[in-house]
Amino acid sequence: MRMIKDTSPKALYIHIPFCVKRCNYCDFNSTVSASNTIDRYLDAVEREFETLKDRYLFHTVYIGGGTPTVLNESQLERLLDSAIHYGMVSDNTREFTVEANPATVTQAKARLLKDHLVNRISIGVQSFQEKHLKMLGRIHTGDDAKDTFALLRKAGFHNINVDLIFGCPGQTLNDWEKDLEVAIGLYPEHVSTYALTYEDDTPLARDLQNEVISNLDESVELEMYKTAITYGTDNGYNHYEISNFAKSGYECVHNNFYWKNLSYAGVGAGAFSFINGVRTAHEKNVLSYIDGILQNNDTTVFRERLPDAQSAAETVVMSLRLRKGVSNADFYERFGCKIDDRFRDQIGNLSREGLVSYEDEHLRLTEKGLFVADTVMAEFL
Amino acid sequence: MSTEHIRNFCIIAHIDHGKSTLADRLLEKTHTISSREFRHQMLDDMDLERERGITIKASAVALKLVRNGKEYQLNLIDTPGHVDFNYEVSRSLGACEGALLLVDSSQGVEAQTVANAYLAMEHNLTIIPVISKLDLPQSRPDEVLVEMEKTLGIDPHEALRVSAKTGEGVDAIFDAVIERIPPPKGIADAPLKALIFDSVYDEYRGVIIYLRIFDGSVKVGDEIYMMKTKSSFKVEEVGVFKPKMVVKDCLFAGEVGYCIANIKSLHDVKVGDTVTHNRERAAEALPGYRAPMPMVYCGVYPADNADFHLLREALERLSLNDSSFTFEPETSQALGFGFRCGFNINIVQTAPNVTYEILKTNKEVIRVDNPEKVPPVNEIEEFREPVVRASFVLPTEYVGTVMQFAEGRRGRYKSTDYLSEKRAILVYELPLAEIIFDFFDKMKSATRGYGTLDYDFIGYEPADLVKLDILVSEKRVDALSTIVHRKDAEIKGRKLVKKLKNEISRHLFEVVLQAAIGSRVIARESIRAIAKNVTAKCYGGDITRKRKLLEKQKEGKKRMKSVGNVEIPQKAFLSVLSVDE
Repeated sequence: MRMIKDTSPKALYIHIPFCVKRCNYCDFNSTVSASNTIDRYLDAVEREFETLKDRYLFHTVYIGGGTPTVLNESQLERLLDSAIHYGMVSDNTREFTVEANPATVTQAKARLLKDHLVNRISIGVQSFQEKHLKMLGRIHTGDDAKDTFALLRKAGFHNINVDLIFGCPGQTLNDWEKDLEVAIGLYPEHVSTYALTYEDDTPLARDLQNEVISNLDESVELEMYKTAITYGTDNGYNHYEISNFAKSGYECVHNNFYWKNLSYAGVGAGAFSFINGVRTAHEKNVLSYIDGILQNNDTTVFRERLPDAQSAAETVVMSLRLRKGVSNADFYERFGCKIDDRFRDQIGNLSREGLVSYEDEHLRLTEKGLFVADTVMAEFL
Repeated sequence: MSTEHIRNFCIIAHIDHGKSTLADRLLEKTHTISSREFRHQMLDDMDLERERGITIKASAVALKLVRNGKEYQLNLIDTPGHVDFNYEVSRSLGACEGALLLVDSSQGVEAQTVANAYLAMEHNLTIIPVISKLDLPQSRPDEVLVEMEKTLGIDPHEALRVSAKTGEGVDAIFDAVIERIPPPKGIADAPLKALIFDSVYDEYRGVIIYLRIFDGSVKVGDEIYMMKTKSSFKVEEVGVFKPKMVVKDCLFAGEVGYCIANIKSLHDVKVGDTVTHNRERAAEALPGYRAPMPMVYCGVYPADNADFHLLREALERLSLNDSSFTFEPETSQALGFGFRCGFNINIVQTAPNVTYEILKTNKEVIRVDNPEKVPPVNEIEEFREPVVRASFVLPTEYVGTVMQFAEGRRGRYKSTDYLSEKRAILVYELPLAEIIFDFFDKMKSATRGYGTLDYDFIGYEPADLVKLDILVSEKRVDALSTIVHRKDAEIKGRKLVKKLKNEISRHLFEVVLQAAIGSRVIARESIRAIAKNVTAKCYGGDITRKRKLLEKQKEGKKRMKSVGNVEIPQKAFLSVLSVDE
């Protein structure tokens, strides 16, 4: 008999879709809005907290954006207060992350975060070099990023992530090595390195289309990625996920729920939830979202329940991002069959090509497979 | 029974000159169908025809008409008007004594007008020239009559002027049919002699054969005998088309109608065969038709191998209704199970090719309808290709353009004749292989739609041909092989591998594309391996995005065939056709 497992969401994501200015590469849900819109938005978020109250117990909470730290001090305080008030976070919350962008964090805001149970900060540094920051459309300098990091350390945060982007137009391998050096020199507990992606309908993609800029050769990007892995591991970081490095014990707990395709709840405009096998998303438009929530309308614009087979495939695709791979035991418990039974052909073919390995009851990407992960993953869909 | 009251005729015209509209008008005027039943373009009754928008199936309909107190039966036998259906036109003509030669008064004489008129003359039919579409503002009947006189020797005074749309002049057609076309000269009491000019398969009744009775008569209960297939059947029903099937007791000499005789399969019936009585057989058969010889072949494969049987059923249905369509199963290493079809239909997968003749060094002559069957170079003494005589009718200002165009396709200039100051007939001999694919469309656009084309097969001629092979990662892909002229081989090979380079997506390994003649590689391209393909972000819980991304990447993969480890999209298999673009 299979045990009835607790599948209620253990992770909560709160989306703050506001920024000082939209970045050139960004296609996330973010806008530049008037302060009173933000206030009304917080009303809506609070309303959602109220609905979730006493229903779930979250192990991790993640406030992302946008730029959560674009909220002024009183707005930020109000958001954090209500998260505590409605029981979204408590002393028992294992990980409470807030995303912060350089030049938007004041000492007062840092203290607010610290006083409201936030125990992890993720800083959107992207680069320490002005030419690349300008290209990306960031509002801050490299020094701003260092200052913000120092300020947060001083405020008492012992778990800080630094986000970096590589593969900017015109970036050299040497540039990238410098960025890595500076970042690691700050001794963050966690580093994320993302290859720049040209998302449709972004200013950067248009520039590429119009040949104003040209993308880096794939081989250079590959070298950059390999360099990040070498730098990270040489400096005592564990390369535990495709884009993520952490000192031992500082792996992101929240993202782990996504990677393992487990349940999570989402609050805010455009936020996704995955509860009881049903995936939903809120209205993306900030004003429609606010009106909808405040008038008690259904703001769900997307809903799907995947059949088991597709859900299994998605679980493999997501979990392969983790270097330790997919555990057969977890897979069996969830889908009632062995991973190598379900995906016999794919595993056979991909192992023969040296792209995946299946050892110790774990299916994982080999180093060769890591570099072409998308192509490998597509085989499971 | 006398045949004095019977007339058998057909309408011949260039495509789009209004044949179906005129036929409808004739039906309507004779009250052959009630206006309630009237449906535009009654004679196009096969689903396929509607799908393709052209008439390919000959049908027949009996029109009843009273003139001067006498009742006449006018049998209208429909003919197709498309350039590819010469064979069908010919078999309809065999059942008639006369033809309405329909010419659009705004378009004038076109290539198929000439071709069909000559065919009718060869069959000794009485020709009634009809100038149509007089209602159009751009109508120019006098000029068109001059063109008809110049090209076909038609007396302008014999021409009738009509507008099928308004009905103007249509009555005069009936008079002309009765007065000018001779009644059929059958001998009523001679042994039965009837021509099968068409046949269709009906799920419930079996094969329905379309007959033109030349001598004698046929009635229910008769035992008939097919002189060519040497088989006999018992007649269950005879009748005429009005245009629906109407049962009659008997079909007499001179009449056109149908016969149902418990014939299970269309393969038991040969169009062009002569039907006679089993007991009292005719001394000799009617001349009949020469068997249609498919000249153009292509491979047709289901995109999904599981649909193989569906494809087979579809092709069988088509072949039942058209004996010029043939198909046989074939297997391609690259594409799996499919069919080689002697016709050009919508789901073409491999490039169509013509049937070649090869004289081997051992003096054996083989027919090659698939590049795959070309023997090794050292066994070929002579490579021969089919050649056609193509006539273009076009405005004089495009003569130069079309000449240049035809010469680029290895055309041999024969003649230029002027229909009028403005229009000319240009005649070229061209390899069939050069015109089967895009020739017609290219010619149309080169002449801004004014040029028309008709062609006849004239024979096989030796040519310096070679088989061009394509190798994908060292593996020869049979479905990409083509037969080309040696002088074009290198350029085509280079263009083809370049084109394939764009069609085939990158793999995790380098893909090498080569074009080769025998063992000699004449062109090479390579598709470099994917070095890095990894999406950094996981999009804050929006897994659907990741999935969409990966699915997009996988998209179309289902429509690909893999050769070795290389996935080749379906589009690539047709790229051999359009290397020039």
